[in-house]
Amino acid sequence: MSTVAWPLVELAAKLLDRNEREAVLGDLQETNEVAWRSFLEVFGLVLRRQAALWKSPRPWLAGFVVALPCSYLLTYVSVSVSCTWLRLVDHKTYGWHWPTGHEGFPLLLCHIFLLIAWSWTGGYLVASLSRQTLWVSAALSVLHSISAMGMWPSDALPRLCLFLFFLPAILGVHHGLRNVRISLPAASLLAFTMTVLMISAWSYEALWALNWALILPALYLVTAAWQSQTRTAELRVR
Amino acid sequence: MLGEFEYVLITAAAGLGENAYGAAIREEIESTAGRKCSMGALYTTIDRLETKGLLKTWMGEATPQRGGRAKRMVRVTAQGVRAAKEFYDTVIRVSRGAAWVENRTGRTS
Repeated sequence: MSTVAWPLVELAAKLLDRNEREAVLGDLQETNEVAWRSFLEVFGLVLRRQAALWKSPRPWLAGFVVALPCSYLLTYVSVSVSCTWLRLVDHKTYGWHWPTGHEGFPLLLCHIFLLIAWSWTGGYLVASLSRQTLWVSAALSVLHSISAMGMWPSDALPRLCLFLFFLPAILGVHHGLRNVRISLPAASLLAFTMTVLMISAWSYEALWALNWALILPALYLVTAAWQSQTRTAELRVR
Repeated sequence: MLGEFEYVLITAAAGLGENAYGAAIREEIESTAGRKCSMGALYTTIDRLETKGLLKTWMGEATPQRGGRAKRMVRVTAQGVRAAKEFYDTVIRVSRGAAWVENRTGRTS
């Protein structure tokens, strides 16, 4: 076995479960397979495993119903927050087609909180729905944000501003992967605060109608916390 | 009923007995059936058979020749033995009188 190619085989095997990775790499080492064949063997198994995952609706939901539409909306919100900030702090001027206008600091703070909350809950939901196909959901989000770069001239807005939502989203994914439990009061408080802020922004005409869809991950959190609490209560009764 | 590869895998695992694990089963299939057996086909079939209750698997010992990595041991369950026997009997039954079967009984060509 070539020592140069072996790390490549191990890297491909990272997409397998821990036990399966152990067994497969051990088998390949025991049978002394040549490096490229080992890589093909592992890659073939990974492909079969990934293909099997897509028989369930969860990866489709996570990737195409949550991650992709959320990225579309959150990229827009990131741009809106960034140029509102630059308008208020750096006194930059933006044309009519930029998503900023009459907002002052209170609405900007409201948008920043909503951006963080929407991104975090969205990331949590994507990771909870389908952790093994997370890389596909992540790739869809990144590809969308990269493709959106062309829409906003870089001289008016730094490119990184489009990715503002990534940090809270990654944190949400991290919590979703670790299955961090959120209590019903905490989830309800978060969803309630988000709703109130969204209504406020809406009443000042500073919220796009489609952004209402971004409350759905928070409602999922409330439902999941409620189900978890009910289950725990039932177990205690037994 | 079992599929052909499932039957081959169960038969190879049953033949290996206590020494049935991924690499050994693969080698057995390749040497007796004379065909290539990919890791993908092997492990996905093992999983499927385990889900059906025809095999039981567990992580075994690690050996130096495997780079200190554990084996995935396989044992055919009683249900697996019954399923393999049923497949074998069915193949024998439907093959009676077939042109390629030696010492055919029944139909004459």
